[in-house]
Amino acid sequence: MTQDIALGPSSKNPDEHPSSTPVPVGDRPHTISPDEDLNERLEKIWADPPGFYGWFKALQNDALGGRIMSTAFTFFLIGGVTALLMRMQLIRPENTFLSPQRYNELFTMHGSTMMYLFAVPMLEGFAIFLLPFILGNREMPFPRLGQFSFFTFILGGILFYSSFIFGAVPDAGWFAYVPLSGPEYSPGLPLDFWLLGLGVAEIAAIAAGAEITIAILRMRAPGMSLVRMPVIAWAYLITAVAILFAFTTLLIASLLLELDRKMGTQFFNPAAGGSAILWQHLFWIFGHPEVYIQFIPATGMISMIVPVFARHRLVGYSYVVIALLATGFLSFALWVHHMFTAGLPQITMSFFSVASIMIGVPAGIQIFAWVTTIFFGRPVWTTSFYFVVGFLVTFILGGISGIMVGVVPFNWQVHDSYFVVAHFHYVLIGGVTFPIFAALYYWMPLFTGRLLNERLGKWNFWLFFIGFHVTFFPMHIVGLLGMPRRVYTYQEQIGWDIYNQISTVGSFILAIGVLLFVINVFYSRQRGEKVDSNPWQADSLEWATSIPAPNYGFSELPIVRSRHPLWDQKDVRDGEAPLKRMLQALSGWPLTWRAALTTSALEARPTEIFRVSGPSIWPVVTAVGLIVIFAAEIFTFRILVFSGVIGVIVGLVGWHWPDHIETTERELEFEREHNILVYPNGSPTISRWSMGIIVLLVATCTAIFVFSYFYISLQHTVWPLAGIERPGLLLPAIGTAAVLATAAAMYWANRRITKGDVVGMRIGLALALILGAVAVGTLIYDLRQVNFDHTINAYGSLYWTLTIFLIALLLGGMAQILFTQIWSWFGRYSAREHVAVDIGGFYWYAMILFWLALAGTVYLAPYTILSS
Amino acid sequence: MLAIALLLAGCGDAAYAPSTLSPQGFGAARIADLWWFLLALGGAVFIAVMVYLAIALFRPRKPGDNAKNQRNGSRVILFAGIIAPAIILFVVFGFTVSTLNAISTPSISREFTIHVVAQQWWWEVRYPYQQIETANEIHIPAGEPVRFLLSSEDVIHSFWVPELQGKLDMVPGKTHELWLQADQPGVYIGQCAEFCGIQHAKMRFIIVAEPPEEFERWVAEQRQPASEPSESLALRGQQVFLSSTCINCHAVAGTNATGDLGPDLTHLASRRTLAAATIANNRGNLGGWIADPQHIKPGAFMPPTPLTGPELQALLAYLATLK
Repeated sequence: MTQDIALGPSSKNPDEHPSSTPVPVGDRPHTISPDEDLNERLEKIWADPPGFYGWFKALQNDALGGRIMSTAFTFFLIGGVTALLMRMQLIRPENTFLSPQRYNELFTMHGSTMMYLFAVPMLEGFAIFLLPFILGNREMPFPRLGQFSFFTFILGGILFYSSFIFGAVPDAGWFAYVPLSGPEYSPGLPLDFWLLGLGVAEIAAIAAGAEITIAILRMRAPGMSLVRMPVIAWAYLITAVAILFAFTTLLIASLLLELDRKMGTQFFNPAAGGSAILWQHLFWIFGHPEVYIQFIPATGMISMIVPVFARHRLVGYSYVVIALLATGFLSFALWVHHMFTAGLPQITMSFFSVASIMIGVPAGIQIFAWVTTIFFGRPVWTTSFYFVVGFLVTFILGGISGIMVGVVPFNWQVHDSYFVVAHFHYVLIGGVTFPIFAALYYWMPLFTGRLLNERLGKWNFWLFFIGFHVTFFPMHIVGLLGMPRRVYTYQEQIGWDIYNQISTVGSFILAIGVLLFVINVFYSRQRGEKVDSNPWQADSLEWATSIPAPNYGFSELPIVRSRHPLWDQKDVRDGEAPLKRMLQALSGWPLTWRAALTTSALEARPTEIFRVSGPSIWPVVTAVGLIVIFAAEIFTFRILVFSGVIGVIVGLVGWHWPDHIETTERELEFEREHNILVYPNGSPTISRWSMGIIVLLVATCTAIFVFSYFYISLQHTVWPLAGIERPGLLLPAIGTAAVLATAAAMYWANRRITKGDVVGMRIGLALALILGAVAVGTLIYDLRQVNFDHTINAYGSLYWTLTIFLIALLLGGMAQILFTQIWSWFGRYSAREHVAVDIGGFYWYAMILFWLALAGTVYLAPYTILSS
Repeated sequence: MLAIALLLAGCGDAAYAPSTLSPQGFGAARIADLWWFLLALGGAVFIAVMVYLAIALFRPRKPGDNAKNQRNGSRVILFAGIIAPAIILFVVFGFTVSTLNAISTPSISREFTIHVVAQQWWWEVRYPYQQIETANEIHIPAGEPVRFLLSSEDVIHSFWVPELQGKLDMVPGKTHELWLQADQPGVYIGQCAEFCGIQHAKMRFIIVAEPPEEFERWVAEQRQPASEPSESLALRGQQVFLSSTCINCHAVAGTNATGDLGPDLTHLASRRTLAAATIANNRGNLGGWIADPQHIKPGAFMPPTPLTGPELQALLAYLATLK
């Protein structure tokens, strides 16, 4: 314990704490280490394989979380350097330090890096590291997905930055408006690096989002019902769901733009019936939630740290949770406030203006909850708490300027001016980066076993805080004085010089602050004060295990009986006798495979003990295959793209190849004794939930395609365009009948296997395959007989793209059935274990809806909605 | 306004910013009022929250009871975190709507429209009723609302004159309508506000607001075709012009220069600036611009024109006659 922070061990001086806070009991009883020998054995099961090759196969949440955070922070430093170069250029008018081209590249890289390669991965890295500990479980549900996410993220980032080597640096800004980013005005590779390099990183974000959602919903400690969940878990849940919707939208938007650039489609080309504004809608349907995807977990961190250093329970827990939910919902309803100058109807703007300024209410709730908590508590001035206070001051300013820019007429003046640049840095640095620093100082002991140095920390804080405000406050003024953003220079004597000079000076102070943090990390790794448990006397479960955090998380899982288990429970292992017996038994068994627990979504009652997947190289193969696809596509090197596809398929098959363990009498005995299901071959619950998420992602893609179709078609009075005839209806009718029948076949297969009838199941699956092939056949035949292609105009582009997407969905489902069929010959399915068949059926039922939505749009919309 | 004149002449000292806070027309004026209201309100909110934060951080501590604190705290959140912001935001929205209505419907209108077509990185300006075509310098009569039709030839641009009116995007395939008014005669700086490529920074223009009679005089002058040069140097310059690559992109009415990729040069000499309000229009700047545009505006579409010294002098003499 450092002496300069007033945080002596509570056992010595319990009166230090306000009586409202239960005095945390001494550290030792919380550290769950009943049996050192047992812990060693657990560590051995859970540890990642050693050596160079082992590094690639590693999938422990601690290792992956740490790697993702370090990589993201490295990108933060790179993004910071791009910002300093820009500030150098702007220090005086008509400066020639950077060429205009270089400047435009730098602000594009700066924004894209900070948004895609720093903030989101950083927060996901935190989640992957911390969540199993905070939730009181041993692992994330899909360690291999986490591994895949790390490799796609870092490889995507490297691909994006390799644009410097090829002299093709993206230069159209982080939102890449069309037509500027389209084939005509940005020929060559730069925008392909932007779309495809970041596309890979977006896939990483979605993967992590899926994993976080399921971890929080189904892998909490027994007793941690939703109302006992720490605020950060709520925050990450909302964020992860938002990631699924938002990043999927961005991926589809990027796909459409890349098709325009590479395949000659016309989605965004107004001259061929496309729409330039469609990109803005799609981008901001992603882009606005993106801001909250960063902000919500950051506030979750603040809600964890404030009570600990205020020594008082969070005031208004329910209000805060409701505020987070409201923020999450609202964030999808205000994207248009980025488009107030795009010439939209006034009624649209009024609606989105209300939604935009309403976001002030949930923000107000959270701010008053934190400040009131501090008011009733007794602040402990650690560096982490300094950053919390810095966050409050800065974010409130950013929130107020945010309300201002939500006001439509005022927005018309300051949109795309430096006022907006100031505003979003107040929100993103104030509202996200300050909390990230607070969190790094707070959780670092869990990562490394050592505290960060507090004296360096205070310097870090003050330089960062002062540097920040000196840099960004003057930008408000220079924006009001008419300075637009994204200008590489400005005229002499236009009165903007002095503000720019102040900003540049400030940016270097800010940079020194960040540099001190980096120094502090390296210094403290060697010399930082060692801690072995709960250094801040915190209330949440991540501090209940030994420090630094062990690979297995907890040997004996905790039982949660309070929202603040470490403050209220004398021993976090104590609870209902049968539950306690089960968890004790689980700590010593099975010592041959990685066992984790699933719990029910609402009450967190234990439901299953299951095997978490172990180290594997296949997720890396998949990630590399994916990067090969994207990298080769940048250079339109299609043979290599094709080999990448093969790599991905091989990787996916290897990844999911059943690593079968026979269920023995020992498992069944455990089931009977403790009344809990035991699945040594993976959790059916988690498989179902993951299929649920896949369906959600596909549904989002479908919705975006349908939205794009109607958005473009409603721009026209004649539809289909250019004398194209309406589609024929006979083929789609046959296809629809086949798809409906497929669902019946899947239902039959499901029913049979529940009764243990493997042959019946195989017949059902075979029927489903044949019918699926018929449906695919109708679509392909239709494409072959139409007399227009995808390049003719936006109608042709939509027709072909939606149909091909539908074919891909069917083929994906058929591949799943095919593998189920193959594995059934290996004897993998029984009345007890057949989850692959279940989720295959679930996919096909959802498939019917996707078919109806997409085929309905393509074939019927020209008849019903519009007349030609 | 003296300052801007001096600035554009390239020899002034006084700094002059196209500030949204010194509005010169009804739109910008209403928005500036809105801004001062938002600033006062936002400032008051900020100070109030900061005072509460300071008290929370530094007040003397008394032990309290958690249950009671939770009750009182929830009340604080309810009133200060929900009800107060809701009322404030309701007021803000009221002000928003009233301003919106006030600035989108001008009080009077006459059949007078200016069509501005943005392109990388300059502004084509057309007066359809007067049949005038010019570039980067928009003359309007002071003291009356003027209707602008805004569109784009290539990528998205945005039309912004901070002292007169909020900005509006110029989107290919669409035409947007914007009303603005300059209360007093003067020169107002405008600029592109949507990133549009390598020279977005130097895509500026000026609005010259004149008393109605002066404006009419300007219209009359602009309607004239280019006058035939009388001096011999200028005549030679005209030959240089017509035999150079200039005419691939530029037009001079009354000659066989009919290019339409670049600005119309029929009345070039009457304009105050060059290269989309990047540099003042004087002999030296124009010579430099013709000889090496890429030095002044790297990435612009105008190529350097290789001319001998005498050719350039003659050309400049000719261009100076295009009043």
